[in-house]
Amino acid sequence: MTADQVRILHGNTFVVSDARGDIEASATDPTGLFSFDTRFLSRWVLTVDNQRLTALSTDDLQYFEARFFLVPGTGTVYVDSKQSVIRQRSVGNGFHEELSILNHADEPIDLTVRIEAACDFADLFEVKDALKKKGAYATQVEDGKLILRYQRETFVRATVISSSEPCQMAEDGLTFHIQVEPHGSWRTDLDVALSVPGASETGPSLLAWQAFRPVRDMAQDLQHWLHEAPRLECEWEPLRTSYRRSLVDLAALRFSPLSAAGRSLPAAGLPWFMTMFGRDSIFTSLQVLPYTQELAATTLRELGLRQGTRIDDFRDEDPGRILHEMRYGEMTAFEERPHSPYYGCADATALYVVLLDEYERWTGDLDLVRELEYEARAALNWIDAYADLQGNGYVSYQRRNEETGLENQCWKDSWDSIAYHDGRLPGFPRATCELQGYAYDAKMRAARLARLAWGDSAFADQLEQQAADLKRRFNQDFWVEDGEFFALALDADGSQVDSLTSNNGHLLWSGIVDDEKAEIVVRHLLGERLFSGWGIRTMAVGEGRYNPIGYHVGTVWPFDNSFIAWGLRRYGFKDEAAIVAAGILEAARFFDGRLPEAFGGYPRATTKYPVQYPTACSPQAWSTGTPLLLLRTMLGLEPVGDNLVVDAALPMSIGRLELLDIPGRWGRVDAFGRGRVITRQRTELP
Amino acid sequence: MVDTIEGFFQQLVDQQPQPLLSKVRGTVRFHLLDPQLGDDHWLVAIDHGDVSASHAEGNADCVIRADKAFFERLVQGRENAIAAMLRGAIVCSGDVELLLAIQRIFPGPPKRQTTGQRGVSQ
Repeated sequence: MTADQVRILHGNTFVVSDARGDIEASATDPTGLFSFDTRFLSRWVLTVDNQRLTALSTDDLQYFEARFFLVPGTGTVYVDSKQSVIRQRSVGNGFHEELSILNHADEPIDLTVRIEAACDFADLFEVKDALKKKGAYATQVEDGKLILRYQRETFVRATVISSSEPCQMAEDGLTFHIQVEPHGSWRTDLDVALSVPGASETGPSLLAWQAFRPVRDMAQDLQHWLHEAPRLECEWEPLRTSYRRSLVDLAALRFSPLSAAGRSLPAAGLPWFMTMFGRDSIFTSLQVLPYTQELAATTLRELGLRQGTRIDDFRDEDPGRILHEMRYGEMTAFEERPHSPYYGCADATALYVVLLDEYERWTGDLDLVRELEYEARAALNWIDAYADLQGNGYVSYQRRNEETGLENQCWKDSWDSIAYHDGRLPGFPRATCELQGYAYDAKMRAARLARLAWGDSAFADQLEQQAADLKRRFNQDFWVEDGEFFALALDADGSQVDSLTSNNGHLLWSGIVDDEKAEIVVRHLLGERLFSGWGIRTMAVGEGRYNPIGYHVGTVWPFDNSFIAWGLRRYGFKDEAAIVAAGILEAARFFDGRLPEAFGGYPRATTKYPVQYPTACSPQAWSTGTPLLLLRTMLGLEPVGDNLVVDAALPMSIGRLELLDIPGRWGRVDAFGRGRVITRQRTELP
Repeated sequence: MVDTIEGFFQQLVDQQPQPLLSKVRGTVRFHLLDPQLGDDHWLVAIDHGDVSASHAEGNADCVIRADKAFFERLVQGRENAIAAMLRGAIVCSGDVELLLAIQRIFPGPPKRQTTGQRGVSQ
């Protein structure tokens, strides 16, 4: 994604153009109008009298609209600007563009305005992998509309382009012959609508309806969203910036599946991951619970509705398993990719139960806990009946779809993320340690829900016994004696994958760590090998695969750190949690408050600034949620019964902090804190 | 062909209450197209796990239309309903939650090519 690209979006519909507003996509170039993982416009080029235009300025007004100020002509010498051109574009279902041409001269002027339009209807997966299309294209002008159409068997997608002002419509675009009065202006409204044909006797098909469903007033909606969120007062300006940035980005990241009746869940990232992901949607929902609870409720309902029910090797589906990723494009439709949905992740199912419990603790919404009892029980059953691939009582993973399935089904999903201390990669199945933590937490939390809402204390007792047994075995089998930390995984032989990683922090979060081991684990997490000064590295310095810019083998992931901070709080290490929060929040200053997915694991003393890991996707949902969860951990917010307990431990640098109107089962309450933890020597604040 | 489909609906009714449909209330009409022998209609009414099925046309909250031959493959687990909807092989209208709910009762693929290492399934 180059810097001068402009992106606007609404849900899973987004437009990526250059700074002039033009789209000139090639097969592998990720620009265009996209919706449902399909490109609906790959060429959209404006000329005036056969001249391209030059951008004077581009305004990203909101995440869903942009305005381009242009003058005809190109070149480095300043162009004759007797006219100016304004394109204001907003994305909804497709996009709407107001094209205005202003004549600044004393004479009237005749102009030929052209917009070239074309579409390749590429699947997002095809854009990534440069694959050939298998269907046929057709272009036609009908009822004053230009229709671009693609068909492969019963799969049909079309783009319908229309204009409010008369024009010549041809198969390659729209031409306007206009006259603009002296100091006058001309304007046309262009509509680029998505069409997913298909109708039955009772009306348009579901997909067609989704494409056409009305767009709510997005500006008003954003205002309402910001108004409903708690208010942050803080002496430290960077935190205010991060907070505001996170709330706006979270609004943009909302995705409303057709079945959700307008309710939203967090998609994974903009723009390429604007879809339901089990893991990402759950982690983000957990991070933002103190600020908005609707996202968690929708995540639970929608993931529940799509919970696995059968054994399907292509999709790595099992009964009770929570999905990994849903996609809507052509390759998914023709089963060239398994995302309809794909189930290959080993953590989301336990995390689903964790979210259900945490949601109830904040909201007191027992109705939803009862409504989802079947799904929660099915998830718990999956852990015991389907995830124990080796029959040793641990959750492990091995894909059954060898072609297009995921090898690593944990959050560190890159090919070399799970490695021994000497750098070798283990075989499969792999039982990574955090999966055991999540399973433990899921059982403990489900036991609470079973007593509270399901009226099944026998089940609760059974879950607690299983959890206690798991914890006991885990603290023996995963504990690396000579290093005194938890192994990253057990391999297929049950031997330890013995590298030191940030996963130890997730174990604290889940509560599976024996109390007497916690302090030494914390010492590792905040020690030089793992803590860079900005945050905790995914993998420790000195491990065979360690690389400060290796995706999961040395970089620092803000989201990872936010859950580790939560884990540190869980075991009472308040000051250490404040140190981690301070490091990450200080790093956010270098990104205008928008934390990237990951940044380099270089020691802070060496680079002075966090080196961003190059990724195409920003904002990323769980990075967006990170400042929000860190605020929670710094303030020590914890629902206890019908009250919200506040137990602040703030970095000194933050000064006074107030979070006002925190929603929950208590109505709305305020939390206050004042910085007292000296983090400077640990994070080397200049 | 009809036998398979008839058998599917019969089994649906025989095996109630269907736990996967325990939260579901509504009617789904399957409109199965057959240019040779004529179209078939199945009206399935679901009331919190209780299911009835009949050869009725009538209005429904959700209408699922597909070729009869294709639907037969669907109820045998040889096709996936979501992928089929994305590519237009089945066309649905009405209440999408009903579609998502009802597709959960379709069986998985008949042949398992597992790695042979999975635990007990129930």
